Amino acid sequence: MNLNKLTKIVAVAALGGVPLTGAQAQEDPIKIGFAIAQSGWLSNYDLSPYRAAVAKIDQINASGGLLGRQIEYTVGDTKTEQERAAAVGAQMVSTGVDLLVVSCDYDFGAPAALAANSAGIITMSLCAADPKMGVQGVGPYAFSGNSAAQSEGIAIAEYGVKKMGLKTAYVLEDTTIEYNKSNCAGFRHAWKETAGEGSIVGEDSFRNEDPSIAAQITRIKSLDVAPDAIHICSFTPGGASAVRQLRAAGIDAPILASTAMVDNYWLNAVPGLKDFYVPGFMSLYGDDPRPEMAEFLAAFNERWGEGPVSSYSVLGYTLIESWAHAVEQAETADADEVLSVMNSYVDEPFTAGLTSFSDQLHIQTNRPWLIMKVEDDTFKAVEIFRNTITPDMRLLFRVGQ
Amino acid sequence: MQNLIQIIVDAVALGSLYALVSLSIGLVFGVMRLINFAQADYITIGAYALVVPTASVSPALLLGALPFAFMAGGVVVVVVVLALLTERLAFRPMRGSDPATLLVSSFAVSYFLQHLVMLIHSGRPKSVGIGNSLSAAVEFWGIRVPGTQLLTMGVALVMLVAMVFFLKKTPMGIQMRAAAENFQMARLMGVKANRVIATAFAISGIMAAAVSLLLVVQTGTLDIRMGLMPVIFAFFATVIGGMGSLPGAALGGFIVGFVTVGLQAFLPPDLRAFRDAFVFMLVIGFLLFRPQGLIVTSAARERV
Repeated sequence: MNLNKLTKIVAVAALGGVPLTGAQAQEDPIKIGFAIAQSGWLSNYDLSPYRAAVAKIDQINASGGLLGRQIEYTVGDTKTEQERAAAVGAQMVSTGVDLLVVSCDYDFGAPAALAANSAGIITMSLCAADPKMGVQGVGPYAFSGNSAAQSEGIAIAEYGVKKMGLKTAYVLEDTTIEYNKSNCAGFRHAWKETAGEGSIVGEDSFRNEDPSIAAQITRIKSLDVAPDAIHICSFTPGGASAVRQLRAAGIDAPILASTAMVDNYWLNAVPGLKDFYVPGFMSLYGDDPRPEMAEFLAAFNERWGEGPVSSYSVLGYTLIESWAHAVEQAETADADEVLSVMNSYVDEPFTAGLTSFSDQLHIQTNRPWLIMKVEDDTFKAVEIFRNTITPDMRLLFRVGQ
Repeated sequence: MQNLIQIIVDAVALGSLYALVSLSIGLVFGVMRLINFAQADYITIGAYALVVPTASVSPALLLGALPFAFMAGGVVVVVVVLALLTERLAFRPMRGSDPATLLVSSFAVSYFLQHLVMLIHSGRPKSVGIGNSLSAAVEFWGIRVPGTQLLTMGVALVMLVAMVFFLKKTPMGIQMRAAAENFQMARLMGVKANRVIATAFAISGIMAAAVSLLLVVQTGTLDIRMGLMPVIFAFFATVIGGMGSLPGAALGGFIVGFVTVGLQAFLPPDLRAFRDAFVFMLVIGFLLFRPQGLIVTSAARERV
């Protein structure tokens, strides 16, 4: 083996194993860079949607590529470090990518996204729920594959009032991260709008790492009239711990939670849980009413030999769909032309659901949700529900709150 | 009135948990002048020992599948062995170093252990349903006491009594107190340093195992950072109670528990999110105005 060959192999290995699918294409391949966390705690949120994105890329390549060109992708590990995310992003931008995909979180995705945005390259976060991953935050070339956290809160509030007939709610806010605060802000807004002023009978906060929420439970128990529902905006493990403690204390009111609490992996914490509702993306458990989800699961399975561990994965699949569709429409991978097509999307029927963008908003605010509830120790699909209240800019950026 | 009693019960339960952790920190500090932040990872690893070590998000139970006595015993063995290993491999070579150096080395051990858990179990939180029957609430005259709170208070009480008995009545306990008072002099009098320090680590391991189990029964979840907050609050507790003083550590644990629950219960809603900041302010206040803490040991007095 000569030195040159060795260098090449090392270089390929260093880039995380670039598939050489584009080698036979007549034209230069289209390039997608993934600046995501393959290690560290964020990797558990990044890897599932990333794998779904790869499944979509492989599907496109197998059916002849995009504009007749194969898609080539490279992956750089940000190791769940913001500084490294910036470095990996900048490096990928300098090697020339047509799309830069970044982590599932604004704080960790933005450093890489900023590099792409300032170079005029389209950049999309796998599943950041913060609208700052867009025009007003990172810049005009930045998108998120997810819905804004506010719309989760709005959807479950509207569902609770309109479909479940609940009248009063108690809000339990985990103040550890901004996602929870945005979610609760959306919930409060929509609940008051649909159930009337005074329909939120109490509020309290906790921290995700609190070993006990006994004091918060005491406050709920001391209410004169028990609320119809409890809204928890949190994530695991703290959210699961809070639900366990609420149920153990005999508080059996329906719990309306945020999307981050979806999927079965935490249900061991609360055996026999009932009346727990979330707005979800899709069901991993074979009961999703939409046939396209079965197709997505099949594609994922075929590519990776196992199903996705998280229902957030479908957002990665649709991220590639939404960008590739714009490239086809624009008949070029040129960022500005693709951008103008994407900005014109109104209710485009992609796998994860109807998708709209505008030149002001690069995140979903009323994509239909799959409402799910816990029964017999598993999440079950209930029905598709689309929120009618959409958050305005003040609510999306929590101005004056 | 009932509400107030309820809040006091909540505070005692949380204080008991913090007292268990602060006692184990205080014990090791007493004999070695080491503030052992790896205590957080003893707790975490004890909890993770309940499940099979895989990256799976819903792993099968390992120690958690055993009957309660074996499960508790197994977790204690795992954590005690871990505590002794860290003492032997990481802290013994550093013995006699500056307390600041020891502190940094404990951060290194903690960081290493946390990443080891992440490597084996992945960073994704997991859930484990043990002791579900214990978590149900019991009502006494309208006061609701969750089973886990009763358990926490019971375990803390038993451990406190056992610790007092151990320190006052057993030869090893007396040697440990002597070593905490004046390590050099104790050694000159024939106290074996290695054995005393290893025993302190082993006891801190037993307490960490108890805290692991209590946390898992209470929260039903596993997370690589689950031990961190209890240890930070327990560290505050030792500062408030007086570094190196065991009664001070226990007292500090209860004070931190009362202050945390009290702030949560009585602060106006807008300020509740900053509850922990008020606890931190209390600690800063102690550091500024009473750095020796509430209960001062003679060993600490010498150093001031």
